[in-house]
Amino acid sequence: MHLDPFELHRPSTVEETMALARRYSGSFDYLAGGTDLLPNYKMHLNLRPHLIALEDVQELRGHSVDRVGAMTRLGDLERDAAFLRAYPAIAEALREVATPLVRATGTVGGNLFLETRCFFFNQSYFWRQSLGFCLKAEGDRCHVVPQKEKCYATFSGDLAPALMVLDAEAEIHGPDGARRVPVTDLYDARGDGIQRTHLAPGELLVAVHFPTAARARRSAYLKLRVRPSFDFPELGVAASAIFDGETPTELAVAAGGLETYPRRFDDLTQSLVGSPLTDERILDVATRIRGAVRPVHNTFLAPDYRKKMAGVFVRRALTRVREGTAA
Amino acid sequence: MSDPRILRLRLNGQPLEVSVPPERILLDLLREELNLTGTKRGCDLGTCGCCTVLIDGRPTLSCLTLAHLVAGREITTIEGVTPATGLNPVQKAFVELGATQCGFCTPGFVMTAGALLREHPHPTRQQIADAVSGNLCRCTGYSKILDAITAASRGP
Repeated sequence: MHLDPFELHRPSTVEETMALARRYSGSFDYLAGGTDLLPNYKMHLNLRPHLIALEDVQELRGHSVDRVGAMTRLGDLERDAAFLRAYPAIAEALREVATPLVRATGTVGGNLFLETRCFFFNQSYFWRQSLGFCLKAEGDRCHVVPQKEKCYATFSGDLAPALMVLDAEAEIHGPDGARRVPVTDLYDARGDGIQRTHLAPGELLVAVHFPTAARARRSAYLKLRVRPSFDFPELGVAASAIFDGETPTELAVAAGGLETYPRRFDDLTQSLVGSPLTDERILDVATRIRGAVRPVHNTFLAPDYRKKMAGVFVRRALTRVREGTAA
Repeated sequence: MSDPRILRLRLNGQPLEVSVPPERILLDLLREELNLTGTKRGCDLGTCGCCTVLIDGRPTLSCLTLAHLVAGREITTIEGVTPATGLNPVQKAFVELGATQCGFCTPGFVMTAGALLREHPHPTRQQIADAVSGNLCRCTGYSKILDAITAASRGP
């Protein structure tokens, strides 16, 4: 499949990137690894006339235990033994993203800002035209939840939940300056499958930073998918905790692949902090998280099943964190 | 079509200079303009691995790579790893152990396997299976493919 024509821009600094973002405001996409964007372009999904390739932007490179540049290839991070030892949940999430061939090119920033996915969106132009276009591309209605207001496409990145439970922070640069925001607050709970982050137009993820305390956390990531060697998550659950004996002093659970945004369940896990992490307490929280998530029928597996499995995966992830058997 | 620009890179050990529009995909450049049709177009969406080439020695999906983004890099295709006469050790093992059925996925597997063996000369079966997990064989001849890569790692 040939791509439709576009102009390709190759800035080498964040400053140059911001100048281009201002100049082509509203008519460009950032191109990181391209493993998500280019298949969508081949299917004529939301084409833009300008692509700003981030390949040469120096500030987006490099990775250490404290900082991962947004353009770090997933496959390169996967070979950083010190990093994998420090953050078991990320190690497990990385290994489960697509295939080694996709990870050779795909990037950390690209995975965090993956386009949301849906049966009715990730289809050829011909297919979508035959049915009638949807809200997310060229149409005015949703085929999953019939109405004309909200898109239900699913957030399908694996890294976001893992970064959320490690208190990672995103360094964002935009036309109006730089800011830092917890990864947990990047995503828009009140938005939808189209408006899914709190990034302003042109804003760019430069790097992800880890607080020192993140290394003290035990953590795990579990992914449900149809084909174990390839697919996007039908759900992904990350959990982490710091223990004083058998009692967690800090604990977090986050999930992706279920709704339009990945989210952390601090309001539902608070009861686990400060008391021994028993099977009963874990089951109680797993049940409450299962009750809170709202998957819809736009991926392979039925939403009822994914909802039930969300509870099962929360239980398994917390049990593994407690046993210290993660990674 | 947007204005073509000059692209310079090294292809199978030789310098190459070619005029290419910004939106050209590496796979299309190789197959349609340079007639290197050993690299196969399977799904064209990054799922099947048939289009695998090496970029600076690393297996990469050429169907998801913009040609201009590999300027200055070393690209190796299946033609570049095949000796002028005969076959390389991985290819020989594929033939001898019947690891090709229809053969369409074979170039991709050979590229991925070759890169694996350079990094891990004696991989375990699990390491091999993980390394080629992005290459699909729709004839489903995976056991023989793993056998062949194992055999190639043990030498003649």
